[in-house]
Amino acid sequence: MDTDISIGTGNPIDRVEGRLKVMGLAKYASEFNVKNLAYAQGINSTIAKGTITAIDTSEAEKQKGVIKILTYKNADKLKHYEEELPAISTSSIQPVLQNADVHYYGEYVGLVIAETFEQAQYAASLVKYTYSEKKPDIDFDSSRGKAYKPTEKSDYSRGNIMQGMAEADVTLEQTYNTPIEHHHPMELHAIIASWNNGDVQAYASQQIIDDATITIADTFQIEKKNVRVIAPFVGGGFGSKLHAKQHVILGVMASKQIGRPVQMTVTRNQMFTNTNLRQRNEQKIQVGAKSDGSLTALSHDTLSHTSTYEEFQESCGTVTKMLYKTPNNKVTHRLMPMNLQTPFAMRAPGEATGSFALESAMDEMAWKLKMDPVDFRVKNDTQVDPSSDKPFSSRLLNECLKIGAEEFGWKNRPQEPGTKEEGNWLVGYGVSGASRRAPYQKTSAKVILELKDTKVRATIQMDATDIGTGSYTIIAQTASEYLNISVSQIDVELGDSDFPKTPGSGGSWGAASFSNGARAACENALTALEEKSGLKAADAGIAKMMQAGNLNLFEAEGTAEPDEEFKKHSVFSFGANFTEVWVDKDTGVFRIKRMLNVASCGKILNPKTAFGQIIGGCAMGAGMAIAEQTKVEPNYGNFITRSFADYHVPVNLDMANIDVIFLPEEDKIANKMGIKGVGELGITSVAASIANAIFNATGKRMRDLPITPEKLIVAQKEPELLNW
Amino acid sequence: MRPFTYTQAKTIQEALTASANNTEAKYLGGGTNLVDLMKEDVERPSQIIEVADLDFDTITSNDTGGFTLGAMLSNSETANHPDIRKNYPLLSMAMLSAATAQIRNMATNGGNLLQRTRCPYFFEASMPCNKREPGSGCGALEGANAKHAIFGWSESCVATHPSDMCVALAALGATVILQKPDRTSRTIEFTDFHRLPGEQPEKDNTILPGEIITAIDLTQPKFKTNYHYLKIRERSSYAFALISVAAGLKIFGGMITDIGLAMGGVAHKPWKLTKAEAFLTGKMPTTANFEQAAKLALKDAKILSENEYKVTMGKKAIVRALEQALAKTA
Ligand SMILES: Cc1cc2nc3c(=O)[nH]c(=O)nc-3n(C[C@H](O)[C@H](O)[C@H](O)COP(=O)(O)OP(=O)(O)OC[C@H]3O[C@@H](n4cnc5c(N)ncnc54)[C@H](O)[C@@H]3O)c2cc1C
Ligand code: SF4
Repeated sequence: MDTDISIGTGNPIDRVEGRLKVMGLAKYASEFNVKNLAYAQGINSTIAKGTITAIDTSEAEKQKGVIKILTYKNADKLKHYEEELPAISTSSIQPVLQNADVHYYGEYVGLVIAETFEQAQYAASLVKYTYSEKKPDIDFDSSRGKAYKPTEKSDYSRGNIMQGMAEADVTLEQTYNTPIEHHHPMELHAIIASWNNGDVQAYASQQIIDDATITIADTFQIEKKNVRVIAPFVGGGFGSKLHAKQHVILGVMASKQIGRPVQMTVTRNQMFTNTNLRQRNEQKIQVGAKSDGSLTALSHDTLSHTSTYEEFQESCGTVTKMLYKTPNNKVTHRLMPMNLQTPFAMRAPGEATGSFALESAMDEMAWKLKMDPVDFRVKNDTQVDPSSDKPFSSRLLNECLKIGAEEFGWKNRPQEPGTKEEGNWLVGYGVSGASRRAPYQKTSAKVILELKDTKVRATIQMDATDIGTGSYTIIAQTASEYLNISVSQIDVELGDSDFPKTPGSGGSWGAASFSNGARAACENALTALEEKSGLKAADAGIAKMMQAGNLNLFEAEGTAEPDEEFKKHSVFSFGANFTEVWVDKDTGVFRIKRMLNVASCGKILNPKTAFGQIIGGCAMGAGMAIAEQTKVEPNYGNFITRSFADYHVPVNLDMANIDVIFLPEEDKIANKMGIKGVGELGITSVAASIANAIFNATGKRMRDLPITPEKLIVAQKEPELLNW
Repeated sequence: MRPFTYTQAKTIQEALTASANNTEAKYLGGGTNLVDLMKEDVERPSQIIEVADLDFDTITSNDTGGFTLGAMLSNSETANHPDIRKNYPLLSMAMLSAATAQIRNMATNGGNLLQRTRCPYFFEASMPCNKREPGSGCGALEGANAKHAIFGWSESCVATHPSDMCVALAALGATVILQKPDRTSRTIEFTDFHRLPGEQPEKDNTILPGEIITAIDLTQPKFKTNYHYLKIRERSSYAFALISVAAGLKIFGGMITDIGLAMGGVAHKPWKLTKAEAFLTGKMPTTANFEQAAKLALKDAKILSENEYKVTMGKKAIVRALEQALAKTA
């Protein structure tokens, strides 16, 4: 039996729901067949700041099929934010259409409900708004004066940074910029909402079912038990679907108002304006080191923006606090309220952007120190998290770097930038280290065991989601392992608020939380069955135990949560990325030739789905490095990148062959099953690895993302290289 | 999207008549540009008349010794046609660098010539844009203009023409054949087909209301050996050119005896580099001469607030395209 890959975790089995997806049978939020459905289309503001002074709905109302038009004048009164900027990560409400104020370009200012999607869209274009416009705050530089410290936790320090810099033989101070980015999951945000006498049922594309349930309940001030949210399949989220956005509330409100189920789908264009974004970050890094490479000081100051009505801080400095050993460390975050929509967590929030700055700076320092960048990082390793003084549950960063260097052929890297040529191309290698917090949260699950003709079928239920990551598959594998039956005997049912509660998908906590939750339910089932049958699970198996206990149907629930050991440690996944780039000598054009990602992220439940997560992360990291950028129009505050024609993500031709090595590891301190997060590790520090490779190829330091031909062609070599 | 009626024209007469009866009608080729712009509420035809299935979908040899491209033939079929690959490989190369395979399969040759600018202000109906709404101002002039023109622009519009095909046609020389509403036909030199914005940026070209493009005439085969289409873009596929250069050379006795040189991404029309062409004709194909020519070509560039990089990039691109064209003999 031990060669049967259909039992247990760790095997590269195909996705259990793959067939459904390929056949189009996996239903996403807007695909449910709900009777008597009406369609809603949001209307977006065309100014960035001001108030609505008049609304003319007459033309729109005349159109065929139009059922109702909602504006702030006739919208339901919802629970509203208090005066102070509420932090979005803790607020659970999403008020919308509550007054005449406009806070950013593209904000929802109305909604048309009609019999068909096309009728709703057309009528929406006919509603006329008159505004009293104010000068919006849309310019990053001129908003600097408004920068404020969001919370006490926004700053951190240990030692004395000035002293650390003074003690250094070599220092660096540089600023790195990352632009606004958008999540853009494949599946558009969508909801089909039915309001039925105060009961709400919603098919909604959300990463966290429980969160959506709470948001709907709290915003409408109804009881949570009256709200049911369903999302069996979610076509990606990247953070944009962690919390319910305004369209969720609008969909429910529309249904309440017309007494029919309503579908509201956010258009691709509205995915830019109404589903949050990753904000622009300006990150200043200071580094000091002794000539032997040991760090004496490291600081990281981040300036970014939030909206004028909600607060979100992306903690770019997280990585600088904990990744390297240094006695003197300072991290700050400042926000400027601007007339742009509220930023929100996007894949590896803090780490993806922060590590670009830190890992670029580490490369710059290595160059100044004339040290190999791999050696420089290895030299500053620490097995204790210096920001909390807790030991890491496991930390194999050095192993990632060393094994990666060996496998990648790092020794062939040109020591001097700009010296390795292939025809018109300059060749360069880059490296970066990566870390991503591996959280793990309280999770419950239910297992239902059925016995039919001596065969057992198990069903696992939990309100977890599969956002394309492979949750169905790893939960089935986990249940298979603990119940010791084949994956083919297991059904997994997810994405329903009627099921036991989980933290949902996000923050790389899904795999560890869901699996341990499923494990706990299965273990409880076995213990109970052992009692009832008087048999031992290991000898008898479930079928015999159920027969002995005279049971055809048996249910058990279980909950897993972090234990004391977890809390006594600092739990992170680690990795290293190696990139080879080819840069055209003249034209600014460049290619990523190959990439190697070495990941140390605990037990790998399924090498196939984990591989997908890492290469997807690398591709997204490459997008961050060379393509993705949402540009704000400098005079009006709208986005000039407004479709996939101009918001670029890399195409296959841009991408390298990506190799992935998982270091064999089980981190039993992290949790009983030894699992850590893998979803966000892949994207982390890929951008630095690429930028560092470009420096190695050309001698040009690219500190502003994305790195494009137009920037590369005018960039100058670093001053000390100019004479070469 | 606004409601509209759809007419499938079976003959060109039917199409011309339908169009003559409705000044708000638009012809539909592959729809890859028109339909996108209708969704954005930028184009607002009350009727679309499909012309993509009309008979002008072949490639035939013409009496100048060259070939005639049907306007309704798809970009893919044109670029991959053996006669085009063999006789005008520069055109083939340029066309295959455009968009994606899926879009090229849909896009027609006529539609390609008439595709509109990618200027973001043009696409966003709430923004000022003289091209979309004459008199509303040019948002890009003092706004986001990194992708905009460095040649031939006016204060009223600084947009560029986005086509790759057209850059190659400008380098090769061609004639556009049109069918007029009165059923007679007329021809326009390719370099006169598109226009500069001047005071009328709403007019991209010289086509008149109701006219249908039926074909593009190419004279005798050109630059069969020494050609290159260099396209610099933000990603390796599915992106418009920041700068592109179509270069064709005829070398005889170590001298350049004929040259076709045009640039894309720099002006309201495909930008033929006549001065550089004149400079290089009769000279030796050396890097030094190419660099001189590139300098000459960019001398008249007039930059906007965000597009200075195009001058450097333009020079480098011209030299590289010519070098690559030359290298093809060796
Ligand atoms: C995302 C994206 C990326 C792209 N990238 C590139 C690129 O990199 N390079 C590039 O060159 N192009 C690119 N394109 C543009 C593409 O090449 C054009 O959209 C296409 O060539 C237009 O042809 P069509 O037949 O679809 O035109 P349609 O959209 O059908 O028509 C365009 C216009 O021409 C008119 N028309 C069409 N046929 C005729 C005719 N025979 N006579 C008179 N009027 C006619 C229509 O009324 C309309 O006004 C891209 C397009 C998209 C959507
Ligand atoms: S450049 Fe032309 S197309 Fe763009 S905004 Fe100005 S007028 Fe409109």
